[in-house]
Amino acid sequence: MKNMDKGILTNADMKLTRYKLLYVVMFAIMLVYCAASFLPVVWIMLSGFKDVKEMYAVPATFLPKNFDLSKLTRVWNEMKFYKYYGNTFFMALGCVAFDLVISGLAGYVLSSLKPKGTRFMLAVIFWIMLLPGTMRTVPLYMEFKSMPLIGINLLETFWPIWLMAGANAFNIILFKNFFDGISPSLIEAAWIDGCNNIGIFFKIILPLSVPVFLVVAMFTFNGNLGTFFWPYLLISDREKTVIGVQLFRMKTSTYTMDYQMIALIFSVVPQVLIFAIFQKQIMGGVNIGGVKG
Amino acid sequence: MKLQKSKKVGTRCSWIPTKRDFSAWILILPAILCIYLFVLRPQIMGTYWSFFDMRGYKVESFVGLENYKTVIRDTQFFKTLWNTCQYVLWSLVIGFCLPIIVAVILNELVHMRNTIRFCVYFPAVLPGVAVALLWYLMYYPDQGGLLNMIGSWFGMEPYVWLQDARWTIAFIVISMTWNGCGSTAIYYFASLQGVNRELYEAAIIDGAGFFRRFFTVTLPHISGVALLFLVRQIIGVFSIMEQPMQMTDGGPNGASNTLGLLAYKYGFVNIQPQYAMAVGVIMFLILMVFTIFYFRLNKIVESKY
Repeated sequence: MKNMDKGILTNADMKLTRYKLLYVVMFAIMLVYCAASFLPVVWIMLSGFKDVKEMYAVPATFLPKNFDLSKLTRVWNEMKFYKYYGNTFFMALGCVAFDLVISGLAGYVLSSLKPKGTRFMLAVIFWIMLLPGTMRTVPLYMEFKSMPLIGINLLETFWPIWLMAGANAFNIILFKNFFDGISPSLIEAAWIDGCNNIGIFFKIILPLSVPVFLVVAMFTFNGNLGTFFWPYLLISDREKTVIGVQLFRMKTSTYTMDYQMIALIFSVVPQVLIFAIFQKQIMGGVNIGGVKG
Repeated sequence: MKLQKSKKVGTRCSWIPTKRDFSAWILILPAILCIYLFVLRPQIMGTYWSFFDMRGYKVESFVGLENYKTVIRDTQFFKTLWNTCQYVLWSLVIGFCLPIIVAVILNELVHMRNTIRFCVYFPAVLPGVAVALLWYLMYYPDQGGLLNMIGSWFGMEPYVWLQDARWTIAFIVISMTWNGCGSTAIYYFASLQGVNRELYEAAIIDGAGFFRRFFTVTLPHISGVALLFLVRQIIGVFSIMEQPMQMTDGGPNGASNTLGLLAYKYGFVNIQPQYAMAVGVIMFLILMVFTIFYFRLNKIVESKY
């Protein structure tokens, strides 16, 4: 028997029949839950290979009769998935760049340099995290149609999404909290040695906090791969749009159900791969900032 | 999350900004500009313009509360408000206890712990729009949908699922719970690691069984976090827009419409942005009550645990 001393049940309890039974029941519940988590995805993967005729066959079968792997390449080429992958990665990488540079620098200034007004700035950042933004959509759209002061039209580009990624209060606080752990004497020493503020950031802060930058980059990238709303609103050109929008449009298109299913599989491959690789960080990362959205 | 009081570096005590302060402000300028342009300005202008008449996206003249009156007089408004509350209620019924139960069981298991944890978290990895399409296909009203397929094995007639106006909201909430439960369960799971083992031992000596131990030790430990999640869930679900938009487009016949979707339709389908902003402000006021409550609660919970 393995060591039980993590949960409510202890090793001593497991000698009793009723607790053994309870354990088995709980294990069974968990297996059912896991099956429910996976079943829809497995079903989509299998059904995607079915003929449309086979889908409506009576009685319905779970497994397809013949796997037609060429369907994958057909869907990939016909729906021009390579193009949407390119667009989506381009958008997500841009978001990562804007987020890391803008939030990272802001976190550094608020944590290490602390110019006058830092406390006011922190209070503002803290409050905007709590503020419901339900009336922001329309004014934002109007801004992107014609930016204030400069009057440039940003519709049909990724700029609005990138710039909005720069206004991430949560990540500013996250960076600030991490940089707080870096000894101020290091920064003062560098300052006395004649290093300027930007130099301190690149020579001292950045090398000491590579892991946090990588984790934030991964989360931002992963989160933006599936963005739907803003690209849908801002980019009407079908050639320039991202996977999330294309998935939504497919619902009302003439593509048959099996094509939609295979497209659905294609669209989640990057996220699943990232999860498989960064499992530990993703499931542990929930603790970075305490309770997080 | 706590804000630490800024400790002053060095010995600066005057109020005049130094040269170093200026260079620091230049580094933070992009963040300030982004926050002003994409958070503060839209927030303020959205409220301000909701009192104006607009033609297309051009601001015309001040009309006072006229937009609000029009929005509230619309026959759809109270129905949609009630729908939105129904979303919240359903999400509490379906999605509030489930993650706690999953986390507690996960914490008990010793076999295949990591595999099960992976499986539990897995749906949370998928992006919202993919989940919406996935469940749209599962709820497909004929033989092609998974649920009707399973039903047909048991001799059920195909059911219309999302097109049944009485239950659409519940079905959408089920798909959201499927998506979100895993990550919430992992939070609770992390919180459960912090339970003081001595309390369990004391309970065992007192002769408490499994469920007694759960209710007297485990539940009080996670109740603070659970309360925070409750309020956050209410806030999150109240402003829901994307899921009904992707799965039913508010239908059938407005049965799954939400305030968020209503605002979207005013703003970008009917091109009456003044009404969209008025709905936004009404939602803001309702949500603000919960947000302030959440803020207070957060302080109490943080000081306690």
